[in-house]
Amino acid sequence: MADPDIFPTPTILALGDSAILVRFGTRLTDAANRAVIALTGLLEHHPIAGVVEVMPNLVSVLLRYDPLTTSPTLLQGELRLRLFGLAGAMDAPAAWDIPVVFDGPDLDEVSAALGLSQDAFIAAHNAAPSRVLATGFAPGFVYCGLHEAMVLPRRTAVRSSVPAGSVLFAAGQTAITATEMPTGWHVIGRTEFRNFDAAATPPTLLRAGDLLRFAVAP
Amino acid sequence: MSAVIQIQRAGPLTSIQDAGRFGMLAHGISASGPMDRGGYAAAGALAGAGLGGVEFTMAGLEIFVASGRCRVGFAGGHFVAHHNGRAVDWFGAVALEAGDRLAVTPGAWGNYGYLRFDGDIVAQRMMGSIATSSRAGLGGLEGRALRAGDVIALEGSGGAVSQPAPLEPGAGPIRFVWGLHADLFPQAARQGFVEGAFAITTRMDRMGVRLDDIGEVFGGASSLSLVSDAIVPGDIQILGDGTPIVLMRDHQPTGGYPRIATVITADLDRFAQMRAGTAVAFEPVGVEHAQALLRSG
Repeated sequence: MADPDIFPTPTILALGDSAILVRFGTRLTDAANRAVIALTGLLEHHPIAGVVEVMPNLVSVLLRYDPLTTSPTLLQGELRLRLFGLAGAMDAPAAWDIPVVFDGPDLDEVSAALGLSQDAFIAAHNAAPSRVLATGFAPGFVYCGLHEAMVLPRRTAVRSSVPAGSVLFAAGQTAITATEMPTGWHVIGRTEFRNFDAAATPPTLLRAGDLLRFAVAP
Repeated sequence: MSAVIQIQRAGPLTSIQDAGRFGMLAHGISASGPMDRGGYAAAGALAGAGLGGVEFTMAGLEIFVASGRCRVGFAGGHFVAHHNGRAVDWFGAVALEAGDRLAVTPGAWGNYGYLRFDGDIVAQRMMGSIATSSRAGLGGLEGRALRAGDVIALEGSGGAVSQPAPLEPGAGPIRFVWGLHADLFPQAARQGFVEGAFAITTRMDRMGVRLDDIGEVFGGASSLSLVSDAIVPGDIQILGDGTPIVLMRDHQPTGGYPRIATVITADLDRFAQMRAGTAVAFEPVGVEHAQALLRSG
């Protein structure tokens, strides 16, 4: 199995009759997310026959397969072989500069809740690069983090719509919207960066594991 | 073969679909595709269809051939079809000429029907597919539902015509495999899910179908805080107020509500065709059994 000193031991679960989920934890931790990124990279270099799609999530990797050509048992055997080699499998991440206008409607509330001035919050938020943890929920929507010292719950009220390029903050994570969508996260700013273009191949730019360098837009 | 079809009348959930937009989950986009894959395939066989088809609902559909000619196959649930005002057998195909009309109205059973043509629907492929995603607002015609006045062009020659087995509404419980979070539900809730009475509600669309939990199996509000994780079609999630929702073809790719079960692939078409008010019972099966059912067609 994956090196227990580096990565948590995964649980392999059936998700319906055409997919299995390799889950490295039931809570979002840095180690679980790193294991997801490592396994996703490994499966790209060493694909498993019969797997038709690999989807990395915050703490798990979904493998869709064709039940007419392969069996879950066969897949799990192949998976175990690959999990043995997981320790050194990280690809070098890409780095991106994300200029942000920090003028979101919830910036005051977020800073106050963390006991920081706005400037101090922005400085803390931008101090170190954030890792892309996963894409999900909506086209090109990315979760980044983790800001383990700045954990806030989501808002109690959901905003029915925020524009593409909104920079959101909750649960120790920063998220960037790529489409217009409803959200219960705190809106702290906006960026010109767009992670989704339906006409492009692939349609998103960011991959889990990439590093985002947030900065105050000039 | 080429033709131009004009939509005369369409319900709000009418859309262009193809087999689905696969391989895009990592970009935050679910596959879409037909709510009743078997019905879509049957309509295709009857037409000798090319790429894509039109999925419509109990609101019905009416088309007019503005120019050209084509063969149209229709299947799915049970509907009533009139070709230029003359009733034709549902689950079949007719040849349409310029100036012809085909009108479809609800029939004995089912929510979804399909029109497929012996040519390719001309639409821009987005990420390899012309399927409309109601959630992401892409594919099909401008990523939206079809409406009166829309025009669909057909080109190319389609494929071979064949006679599929007639479609039946099917009966019996909807079979499932235990879901991603089944272990988080108390034994009483799991037992209640298998033994309880549920019904399809009117709150259904391409994203999901809300169920009426008649026996209040999931009555208590839950405050489980779960990490967002992958969703597959057929997943049954329980909202905070206890409402079960069966997630369908335009599901969100990830979600954080607890999921007790996943409807098996072999029963998902049948489930999609169950009308509002219909009672539904659930029965657990193993993954191997679910796959054997797929292999036996």
